[in-house]
Amino acid sequence: MIFALCGTPLLAGTLLLLAAHLPASRLSAGHLLAGHRADRVAPVAGVATALLVLGLAVTVAVTRPVARFALLPGRPGGLAVDALSAVLALTVASVLLAVLLHAAGERYGARFTGLMLVFAGAMLVTVTASDLVLLLMGWEVMGAMSYALIGYRWRDADRVRAADLAFLTTRAADVGLYVAAGFALAGTRSLGLGDLAAAGSPWRDLVAAGVVLAAMGKSAQPPFSFWLSKAMAGPSQVSALLHSATMVAAGAYLLLRLNPLLDATGWADTFVAWAGALTALVLGGVALVQDDLKQLLAASTCAQLGFMMLGAGAGTVVGGASLLVAHAAVKSLLFLCAGSWLTALGTQRLAGLEGAARRRRLTGLTFSAGALALAGLPPLSIWITKDTVLVAAGERSSALFAVALAASALSAAYAARALRIVWRPASAVGRGTGAGALEWLPLTALAVAACVLGAVPWRRVLDAPPAAPGAGGPDVRGLAVSGLLAILVIVIAWTRPRVPQPGWALGWLYLQRAAEAGVVRPVFGLARALAWFDDHVVDGAVRGAARGGLRTARLAARGVELRVDGLVGAVAHATRALAALARRPQTGQLHMYLAQAAVVLAVLVAVAVLAG
Amino acid sequence: MSLQAFLLLAAALFSVGLFGALSQQSVVMLLMGLELMINGLLVAAGGFWLRVSPSGADGQVLVLVAITVMALEMAMGFAVVTALFRARDVDVTDDAGDLKG
Amino acid sequence: METVAFWILGVAAVGTGAAVFAVDSMARATFALLASFLCTGGELLLAGLHYLGVLVILMMIMEMLVMAVFMVMYMMNPAGLMPMTMLHNTRGALAIAGAAFAAMTAGILTVPWPERRGRPPRDPAFALGEAVMGPAMLVMIVIGLAILVTMIATVVLATDRGRYDRDRAR
Repeated sequence: MIFALCGTPLLAGTLLLLAAHLPASRLSAGHLLAGHRADRVAPVAGVATALLVLGLAVTVAVTRPVARFALLPGRPGGLAVDALSAVLALTVASVLLAVLLHAAGERYGARFTGLMLVFAGAMLVTVTASDLVLLLMGWEVMGAMSYALIGYRWRDADRVRAADLAFLTTRAADVGLYVAAGFALAGTRSLGLGDLAAAGSPWRDLVAAGVVLAAMGKSAQPPFSFWLSKAMAGPSQVSALLHSATMVAAGAYLLLRLNPLLDATGWADTFVAWAGALTALVLGGVALVQDDLKQLLAASTCAQLGFMMLGAGAGTVVGGASLLVAHAAVKSLLFLCAGSWLTALGTQRLAGLEGAARRRRLTGLTFSAGALALAGLPPLSIWITKDTVLVAAGERSSALFAVALAASALSAAYAARALRIVWRPASAVGRGTGAGALEWLPLTALAVAACVLGAVPWRRVLDAPPAAPGAGGPDVRGLAVSGLLAILVIVIAWTRPRVPQPGWALGWLYLQRAAEAGVVRPVFGLARALAWFDDHVVDGAVRGAARGGLRTARLAARGVELRVDGLVGAVAHATRALAALARRPQTGQLHMYLAQAAVVLAVLVAVAVLAG
Repeated sequence: MSLQAFLLLAAALFSVGLFGALSQQSVVMLLMGLELMINGLLVAAGGFWLRVSPSGADGQVLVLVAITVMALEMAMGFAVVTALFRARDVDVTDDAGDLKG
Repeated sequence: METVAFWILGVAAVGTGAAVFAVDSMARATFALLASFLCTGGELLLAGLHYLGVLVILMMIMEMLVMAVFMVMYMMNPAGLMPMTMLHNTRGALAIAGAAFAAMTAGILTVPWPERRGRPPRDPAFALGEAVMGPAMLVMIVIGLAILVTMIATVVLATDRGRYDRDRAR
């Protein structure tokens, strides 16, 4: 069952990708037709697969299957579904279905659908993996698919560069997970996610550090945030999936999943909590001043993930997970709406979207529902789920609570600002074209979910232990305070739409420039230096050896060889001369022989006499 | 009549014979040189017999052997010359260069 | 008297020996050689070896007659009517001969020769006969065999036609 859940999207996606690449590999008429046919069939196949996956996810959530197998000999691991996994699997499946439905209206081909399915399948593997090896596999495939999807329109060099940047940034942070796996093996002799908290003292801290690094990279927390801004180069449907239930959610999920490990270290949870709270605050500010709807939504994603991090750090898995689900619904909805407007109006600049909500009513209404939920307006979903996180943070420290509350107010402000702009009466209000069923169905469903998800009894759904932080049920006072704050901020933002736009906020804190200056350029410089070293020292040594060898050879050829050759020649000549000399007495003349014999005899006699 | 006198005579005869043997082109003349060398040998053997051990007959036997060898050598030499002449119509050693290296 | 005869004969022997290679007629060379041998025979007679001296004289007379026949057969200028030299390598031969003579003379004059032991027998010819028929019998046998072999070999070498080309007309 669990294999079916993870395997179905992976297999279907792979098949679709193969079908999409058939014409590329075999340029014949039949295959071209097949390719076109695949492109025609793909949306339907994608939606059908997503439906099937959703069904499987529901089944899995109910039956909670476990599949144990050892990928590495002696290190048992496998796939398992517990409450958290079940919730996330359902979220992924639902958002996938909604996004694919919406994409079906835009005539994407087989490649897009296939990539999306594999992307979601990898996320499903990630959330159901019970050991680090499988988790890493899902994690990596997801990263690769995000690269392919962000750079989906590969004829545009800028988009491909953005995909490169996103992929490289997340990959750089992924190193932490590999390191963590290595230290986990060293510390616990096991790769099981449940065993990590039991590791020894230095190993545990190292594993936690690696995991936190990887999670922050995947979730686009500072200093990695800029890749998410760049990821807007992908299609809106990709953003809808990537920003809600996959990719960025994976980081938050990992920290929620490994909450015991963070607790066990004693420093990691505090660090994560503070990092999350400050991220929520600062990127909320960044979101407030953006001029581009998708950039605003991206910064908001970072901020909301900061809240989830805060939840994970504060120890409330319930708060973090419920916020994750609610945010998934809200953010996928908002991105799908942005995508609809982009298709209809050809722009995603906020200035160009004035009155967009009036032009396309349904899109406008659903967008408003999503934005208000994002603002934390009571009684919508994020109001309740975020409050759980805030209460847990307040139990940790009041400073943390204050920062988180400020960040919450900021989220209300930017949501209200976006709303104000899209509802502003535009000068030229034309009737927008009506939305097709493929568009309104997912939008409506997501909007409903964004509104009512807060009513889900998350505590029971997630089997929260009664002693968990924020276990005292929803804090009525806190809910009231945050709700009132949200309403107040929305009103203020509605009446005063002008905001100062400092450069640091517009430019995402210049994180990309900082990364380029602090990491990319040094690395390139180092690479250049190493290349120089390689070229001049290593290669130079090799070449020098070769040159030296040649020179020695030449020297040998010129000096030694000639002498040796001369020696050989001289030996030959001498031998010849001696031979000629030896032939000279052999005249064939008897008297000569007699004379020689006489001489030799005389010599012998002399020798005998002298020796005797 | 001392031993040295005999031996000096023998040496002189031997050397003259040697010169002849080495310098003559004609095979017959060469044989004459060999005769002269053996001539010297005869004189030396006689001298030794007379001046060293006249009581024994060994010196005489040696002279006898030398005379015989001289005769045989002459006979063989003439036979070879005859064969050469028959085969090549030469009687000069320079023309019989079969042993040339 | 004997000494004088010895030296006269010795000088004559060497002189006629040298004359063999000095004259340009084969006949004269033959007779010079004969003279040299006769002088040698005389020396042997002087030394008391009567038998051997006579043997040398007789044998050499015969041999030189045979030699004269061969001269007439093979040599040009048999009677000295057409003078010619037939020499080669004269200088080398002279050098070698001179060196040999000098070396031998040096040896003769420096080597301490053994003292004379015993006296000559009354009849050296008789002593020679006893030795040849007694202790030196083997020498005699070998000489006999050598003479036989030489006869056969000379005949084989000198015959115009061998035993087996009787059927082949020349």
